[in-house]
Amino acid sequence: MRRPSYVFQRASTLGVVMTPMIDVVFLLLVFFVWTASFQVVEYSLPSSLFAASGTGSEVEVDPELEDLDRVVIRIAWQDARPVWMINERSVASLSDVRNTLSGIAAIQSDVPVVLDASPNVPLGHVIDVYDIARLESFSKVQFAVTERP
Amino acid sequence: MRVPIRSGRAEVGFNMTPMIDVVFLLIIFFLVSSHLARQESRLQLPLPLAQSGVETVYDERPRVTVNVLDDGKILLAGRHVSVDELLQRLNHEVSRMGQELELRIRADRDVPYRFVGPVMFAAARAGVWQVNFAVIRSRDR
Repeated sequence: MRRPSYVFQRASTLGVVMTPMIDVVFLLLVFFVWTASFQVVEYSLPSSLFAASGTGSEVEVDPELEDLDRVVIRIAWQDARPVWMINERSVASLSDVRNTLSGIAAIQSDVPVVLDASPNVPLGHVIDVYDIARLESFSKVQFAVTERP
Repeated sequence: MRVPIRSGRAEVGFNMTPMIDVVFLLIIFFLVSSHLARQESRLQLPLPLAQSGVETVYDERPRVTVNVLDDGKILLAGRHVSVDELLQRLNHEVSRMGQELELRIRADRDVPYRFVGPVMFAAARAGVWQVNFAVIRSRDR
């Protein structure tokens, strides 16, 4: 009597279904792309500090560009808009601020620049001027600060 | 009598589907939990715009992050603090970590400067000279 042989001639195969794995990877990709698009990248503006000694700092500044000791940029807040003064000279707009600083930087870029903002000036406008000073390659840009609000 | 030989290998079936389901659930769990944890430590603020900002380097340098809201409130580690409390905390951190401590100010772009100035003054009094402003990149100026 002949009986069927239970000796398997071929090796057993390990079937791996790839479809769910691809679905998982696809969902992960969508998740990370979606969450990354909503995340705003933050950058850093390094700065150094200059503490004001009193209510008004008396800065002796030579108005001639060639003998600059220090550039003091005062930012005031009038009629809900910023007003700029560079070494006690009024400047009309932010682009004029940049042009003036560009002219100074072309002569002497290592002159200290001090930002003296009025208390009511929004920080964004102060950062605008600070950003311009950095873009014009001034190496020493400082904030004038007070102890109390 | 002939006896059937059962020396052949039994077929080993390995079902991958439940394992994939478990891995998928674990991944979803960790993604959601990390996303929620990140939101608690990173307050959404309209940061000032700047072009010259440098990429923030998250290295081992000790850093203290302070959030200043549009109404002038100062948040340190998720808690409202006064300028004096901030100074005490900075003194403590400087004594612990030395002069390499860095202060990162995340302030609302519309907050009056009079609320940010004292923060920087406190940093100067505590001996923290590395002060960074958190900004977002503006396209042109």
